[in-house]
Amino acid sequence: MKETNAMKRLVLSALLAFIAISASANVPFIEDDYTKAVSQAKKLNVPIFVEAWAPW
Amino acid sequence: MRAYVYTDKSLERYAGRFVWLSLNTENAKNAAFLKKYPIPALPTLLVLDAKRDSVALRYVGGANVSQVRKMLDDASSTYHSRAVSTADTALTRGDKLAAAGEHADAIKAYEEALTAAPKAWPRYGRTAESMLFSMSMSDQNERCASRALELYPRVKGTVSAANVAATGLGCATSLEETHAQRNAWITALEAETREVLKNPKIELSGDDRSGLYMSLIDARDAMKDDEGSMQLKNEWLSSLEASAKSAKTNEQRAVYDSHRLSAYIELGMAEKAIPMLEQSERDFPDDYNPPARLALAYNAMKQYDKALAASDRAVAKVYGPRKLSVLSTRADIQLAKGDKEAARATIQQAIDYAKSLPEGQRSDRRIAQFEKRLAALD
Repeated sequence: MKETNAMKRLVLSALLAFIAISASANVPFIEDDYTKAVSQAKKLNVPIFVEAWAPW
Repeated sequence: MRAYVYTDKSLERYAGRFVWLSLNTENAKNAAFLKKYPIPALPTLLVLDAKRDSVALRYVGGANVSQVRKMLDDASSTYHSRAVSTADTALTRGDKLAAAGEHADAIKAYEEALTAAPKAWPRYGRTAESMLFSMSMSDQNERCASRALELYPRVKGTVSAANVAATGLGCATSLEETHAQRNAWITALEAETREVLKNPKIELSGDDRSGLYMSLIDARDAMKDDEGSMQLKNEWLSSLEASAKSAKTNEQRAVYDSHRLSAYIELGMAEKAIPMLEQSERDFPDDYNPPARLALAYNAMKQYDKALAASDRAVAKVYGPRKLSVLSTRADIQLAKGDKEAARATIQQAIDYAKSLPEGQRSDRRIAQFEKRLAALD
């Protein structure tokens, strides 16, 4: 990942802090399983919304 | 976004219209995905068309609830081929190219979309943001800064103004000091970034605001204005503390930990971060971030034994590419303590670990940095 100046400023750079997707999330996330998501999306004929994140 | 956005009830109506996938880029299981779809910064949001194996939408950066809803509506339209204007088609092509790392062609597609955009096209702001990001990623800093200045009036007063101004400002500060327009562009883009920060009608999250402050501080540093930089750092910290104070949950409060730690260290008051980080370590005992941050805080305070103890706890929990940063900090602490041999062993451990990461997570640049650091110790 390219580091922008602003990102460098963060000693332990983070746009997000770690929080597991909480039980109160209002959409049903599949965790870390692209194959399962592709399979479900084809079956349901809907697109896949992906959030790529990191726990830091 | 995890603490503030996906918990919003207004997203419930989209639940069945998408398959929702959360990918932790530190998890080795996702390395193949990362090889296929390079992720330049976090978070990155993608909408994928599984049937056509293609990208329908890509957005780099955090987004508020309104932005996410708008993107979901856009992506749904694109997926069901209801939006076929020239501008929409060019935007989708730009997103696909940017997702593949082909920034030069992505920029052309985004420019085409902006040129063809109908009046009041709702995707103008997102297109401008994505184009400037691609320019920044491909080091087209001159073009990025000048286009940001041209585009800002069109997105003024909207949430896109934040990224347009701040990305442009980042590009301007990256220009050579000898560049004839550099200082004028920095000054103009700083004014626009400040305008966004002061506009209460623009819905910005606390960490968005923090990002804008960081861009402004970088700009003052680039202009060698120590007094202005220090003043901004104090404003930045006040803003962060206000955001943390208004958090409704521990998760929301912890969003600001890394930003606050950076601000405390930069202001020479690292000790103020200790209670906050100890609280987060109690609240999230499985998370490596609080001890990793405590190691940084104690190192800044020159309390090296406490820093190493915190680093031990972080190293025991951390995984993925982030482990390299934790090990790098550990080597910093060991060197500051005067233990060159331990630092050498830690850097070697980092090199071995970096080489063991799967393609998609492994970074040759990172390995080279550690090897250079090791060589410098000999």
